[in-house]
Amino acid sequence: MAIVTRKLTVKNKSGLHARPAALFVQIANKFDSRITVKRDDDNEEVNGKSIMGILMLGAEKGSVIVIAAEGDDAENALTELEKIIISEEET
Amino acid sequence: MLIMDFLSKKAIAIDLKSSKKEEVIKELVDVLIAAGEIEKRCKNKLIDALMARESLGSTAIGQGIAIPHAKSDCVEKLLGAFGLSKKGVDFDSLDGEPAHIFFLLVAPQDSAGPHLKALARISRLLKDKYFRDSLRSATDEKTIIKIISAEDEKKI
Repeated sequence: MAIVTRKLTVKNKSGLHARPAALFVQIANKFDSRITVKRDDDNEEVNGKSIMGILMLGAEKGSVIVIAAEGDDAENALTELEKIIISEEET
Repeated sequence: MLIMDFLSKKAIAIDLKSSKKEEVIKELVDVLIAAGEIEKRCKNKLIDALMARESLGSTAIGQGIAIPHAKSDCVEKLLGAFGLSKKGVDFDSLDGEPAHIFFLLVAPQDSAGPHLKALARISRLLKDKYFRDSLRSATDEKTIIKIISAEDEKKI
């Protein structure tokens, strides 16, 4: 199955801290696809369905991340997850 | 950033007694006060801030770990306390598991970066099951510091 990816810039003022990370994981877990995330400047991939994974990225505002999804609902998953990353609002 | 950069060596509690979220947070704040890291007058405000943060969403991040955190005027730089609960605490974790390992973080009011880095550091080290298990089986404060320092050095 094809892997779809999306490269996004973190817009949240405080970066992907605990609250947006939890939100990201809650949404990621609604989908069957395998979801991984990495910083664009690093090769280490983390599990997009684990809060610890997302926190490990230490993704501050302005950092670029790549989300990859693999599965039947991959496109939908990326569309939903993108909303969190590009949201400027404090969650 | 290393864990030992912000974790107070004097603020380690290896046998948390409470079994409720708010009580555990109070216990950890008391540990910071007893360690001389924050003033007693800060106690209630800090507990309120930590509980307010919990009400927005639990800081339990899974795998038996919780990172209650808040900003406060009472610190000038990021400060952390460590706590261990043998029986576990219901911390409303997403994975439904009780929390056993606690890192309480207090950041200065106007900061964002250090707190994000600390969360990243704690997550990076604690994803290692062996490290989590050795912390959970420690029986004194010195051992906790030794285990964390060794892991800090191993993964720079």
